Amino acid sequence: MSSNSPETSRRASNRRGIARLGTRLDSDSLNASKLDSRAALYRYYLCPLSNGTPGDGTLERPWPSLADVLRDIGRRHGGDAPSVGKLAGYDRVEICAINGPGDEPPPGKKPRYAFYVDPLGTSDEEGGGTALAPWPDLEAALAGVARLDAAGGLPLQIGEHLRLSVREVFSATPIDRRKRRHETVAKSVFLLMTLLLVIPLIAILAHLTVKAWPVLTASFVFENPKNNMTAGGVWAPLVGTFYLVFFSLLAAAPIGVLAGVYLNEYARDNWFTRIVNLAVVNLAGVPSIVHALFGVGAFVLFAGMGESVLAAAFTLAVMTLPVIITSTKEALASVPMAFREACWNMGASRWQTIRTIVLPNSISGILTGVILQVSRAAGETAPILFTGAAFFVNVPNKGLGYFFPYALDKSCMALSYHLHVMLTQVKGASPEQIAAGEGIPLEHLQYGTAVVLIGLVLAVNSVSIGLRVYLRSHKKW
Amino acid sequence: MSSIPASDAGKPREVSAMHRLAARLRSVPELAIEVLIRLCGYSAIFFVFAIFFFVLREGAPMLFGHMNLWSFFTSTDWNPVGEPPRYGILALLSGTIAVTAFSMLIAVPLGLGAAVYVSEFSSPKIKEILKITIEMLAAIPSIVWGFIAYMTLNPLIIQLTDAPIGLNVLNAGIILALMSVPVIVSVGEDALKAVPDSYREAALALGASRWEIVYRVLFPAAKNGLLAAVLLGVGRAIGETMAVLMASGHANQIPATLLDPVQTLTATIAAELGETNQGGDHYRVLFVIGILLFAIAFVVNLTADLVVKGIRGKQNV
Amino acid sequence: MVSMGSVGIEIEGLSVDYAGKPALRDVSLAIPPNEIFGIIGPANSGKTTLLKCINRTIDFVTAANMSGTVRVGGQDVRDVANVYQLRRRIGMVFPLPVGLPMTIYDNVAYGPRMAGLRHRGELDSLVEKCLRQSALWDEVKDRLNMLGTKLSGGQQQRLTLARALSLKPDILCLDEFSIAIDPVTTMKIEEVLLELRSQMTIVLVTNLVQQARRLASRTAFLNGSRIVEYGETAAIFTKPEHQITYDYVTGNIG
Repeated sequence: MSSNSPETSRRASNRRGIARLGTRLDSDSLNASKLDSRAALYRYYLCPLSNGTPGDGTLERPWPSLADVLRDIGRRHGGDAPSVGKLAGYDRVEICAINGPGDEPPPGKKPRYAFYVDPLGTSDEEGGGTALAPWPDLEAALAGVARLDAAGGLPLQIGEHLRLSVREVFSATPIDRRKRRHETVAKSVFLLMTLLLVIPLIAILAHLTVKAWPVLTASFVFENPKNNMTAGGVWAPLVGTFYLVFFSLLAAAPIGVLAGVYLNEYARDNWFTRIVNLAVVNLAGVPSIVHALFGVGAFVLFAGMGESVLAAAFTLAVMTLPVIITSTKEALASVPMAFREACWNMGASRWQTIRTIVLPNSISGILTGVILQVSRAAGETAPILFTGAAFFVNVPNKGLGYFFPYALDKSCMALSYHLHVMLTQVKGASPEQIAAGEGIPLEHLQYGTAVVLIGLVLAVNSVSIGLRVYLRSHKKW
Repeated sequence: MSSIPASDAGKPREVSAMHRLAARLRSVPELAIEVLIRLCGYSAIFFVFAIFFFVLREGAPMLFGHMNLWSFFTSTDWNPVGEPPRYGILALLSGTIAVTAFSMLIAVPLGLGAAVYVSEFSSPKIKEILKITIEMLAAIPSIVWGFIAYMTLNPLIIQLTDAPIGLNVLNAGIILALMSVPVIVSVGEDALKAVPDSYREAALALGASRWEIVYRVLFPAAKNGLLAAVLLGVGRAIGETMAVLMASGHANQIPATLLDPVQTLTATIAAELGETNQGGDHYRVLFVIGILLFAIAFVVNLTADLVVKGIRGKQNV
Repeated sequence: MVSMGSVGIEIEGLSVDYAGKPALRDVSLAIPPNEIFGIIGPANSGKTTLLKCINRTIDFVTAANMSGTVRVGGQDVRDVANVYQLRRRIGMVFPLPVGLPMTIYDNVAYGPRMAGLRHRGELDSLVEKCLRQSALWDEVKDRLNMLGTKLSGGQQQRLTLARALSLKPDILCLDEFSIAIDPVTTMKIEEVLLELRSQMTIVLVTNLVQQARRLASRTAFLNGSRIVEYGETAAIFTKPEHQITYDYVTGNIG
């Protein structure tokens, strides 16, 4: 029981230096676990009420005064021949004030005073021993504590203790720990925000698919709508969407790509170019219904096309043009200038250089942008509302007309508009018709149309994304 | 063009076939294609003017005619089929503003937060997955969003808030927020990416945590780009048509609460143009609303562009 | 009699500024044919601009204003009938090695193809000849289908040289060709230049004074956008007329 050595606690794992997760000396060190496994805790007890009988710092025989304790610590851990051992690593020395011999103070309390020794932190021996200004070695620490005590600044109540911590290089200060806490909180908040976006997407797709399940068959896709949209599928609108996308792309892609070529390869850095770029940005920001109004004013009325596939397609073309221009510009800009200069110096003209080096090496990037616009053109409703989308067009169920049902100067059905129509204008099959197997419940048709539309759009987008991934893995330079 | 280059005249040298062919290369087709490229380059300006011109053309007779511009902007009485017809858009305008403002309240923090997470806190693989997800979110067509607003969010709101109708500012705001977030995230992420890594490294060397880097270094450095991202999100929200058509309800009123149905300028055009007589007053007033929308979008985009040019100038350091 | 395929360059009163900032001021030089002419000088003294004026790639720099005359083979470069043809007669090698993103074969064949040469057999022998001339043939002869961008820096620089030689130029300009490549490749290219001297006029812009000393028979010292002096290399290095030239060639100033 009575031992000549003060109470030490060392973890069993310490012997092999293996960290034991979850073992902590106290609660205010966030990342203490791994590194603290080798730390030793030395406790010395101080009983100011004892009548001056010398002790040895143990619980049963506490020292009578702080000065004694400090001297003892100096003997055991400091100097050239410490009797217990030099302090190192994350060792801690605690000086506890107790009521009387054997009076164990309650565990788990934070120290009343905490001082720090950090050999590499400073060489200032007159420092305050705080976390930010630690003492350079044990001797300075003991002297500093003694000084503070002499000045009357360290009253220790019964049950409180003073702790002297030795720090390794670069160990965490309270400031570091606080920063790390803030960072974890911030990171979680931002992650939550991101999840709030990801979850709705998955939820929407799942919900739509589930609700549309009864009607999602091949015949739904390949059959025309029949009987006032009480039955049948979405073939005619689907074909109509293909028509619109095809013709709008036919118009927008060449103009957009060449415009991108102009802006990146030919345009000089002057006010005019700035205006052109501004125009592209503004064109991109025009509300979709204003595109519809423009289409009505320009194509339907002024150009005399009437409500037709061409009018709607051209309206869509003007809508997708600015983004094709921008993505072409970016794709071209990714070709290093050094290639162009090498070609110019060999006598190639600007256009020859573009044709042989710049365009071939940026075509995938250009395609990525164009494909993205394909999916946008397929999904937009507003621009085709008054320029060419029709509620219903009677379309042959087989033969060549099945694949090519629409005349370019007449209006057509379109998948996006069809969904709008199914939501707002169609009454749907009556219960009798459904019971007789002649009709499909309106809700199923609605969800089915939505799923086909989303499926088409996401499929096209995936092609674009796939192309992007392919691009990145096949970089030529 | 002579087959022997002038600079070689008088010199005894063999002119290779190569040089002769080359001399003929600068020819008409190449000039033609350069003209074509230039024309296409100017096309954007042409189309912006064209849109403005043709919309104005249809609306002009009313705009410069017997329409009372004062009551147009200040009256909430929108009754084009009444006797006499009234064309006050104040309530419609307030609908647009209410829906946009509320959606931005949701979209801006969410969008910027996600942009920060994608740009600063996520590993490359997660970053790729997140970017693809955001792109998928952006790809959902507006009519499908309207569909969701009408079929799913509508009953949900009724259930959760006991409102008589689930098509209101709240519904439209949530849907618009989800639609505008991808714009904010992608432009915001570009803005954060544009901050040089040297800034981050310098802050790290001073002991900053990643969160501190974000709010002490990145936000101030990228604030122009982030502001532009927000402005573009606003532009997206203002201009959206089909989704708000389904989601906001059909009430021409200034909303008092989030649960009040409203009608936006864009939805009004979409809903009513089909019912008008071409050339009639109602028809023309809808085109005038179109001009107003074009002007608003123009201002928003111009501001965003000017704001972005701010970074361009600063980063030439 | 001037030997086949080489011409001299005369520059008179050449001044260039980029949007007001002067890059070259009243530069006059005479570069005789069939020798290596060195141009040395500190950074930003206008050396690259000078080269750009010779083959008129200064035209691609929109902010540049040029006055004065540059004559190649007696012909003012601004009066040529076909500027692309002019550029084909002047080969250019840049500081940073550039391998075009195509096969090595296509890299060297690019110039001739653009100039109209299509015959496969002729292209084959031309490619081999140029790669041999630039000391690259042995290293790449079995992998002519490899992408040019995948070669090492030193190999790409020799590939650039091969490209420059593919058009059988009268003049070869090198702009600090060795700064981004290893010493072994530099040595190889220097040997090549000494061999090529008899077939063309070589203008060697370099920031390595010793390189000029090794290779050039005449050298010009360009400082602060002006020609300080030029003449026989030996004279420039041992008995220059100006103090600043002496300081530069001895390394006292950078």
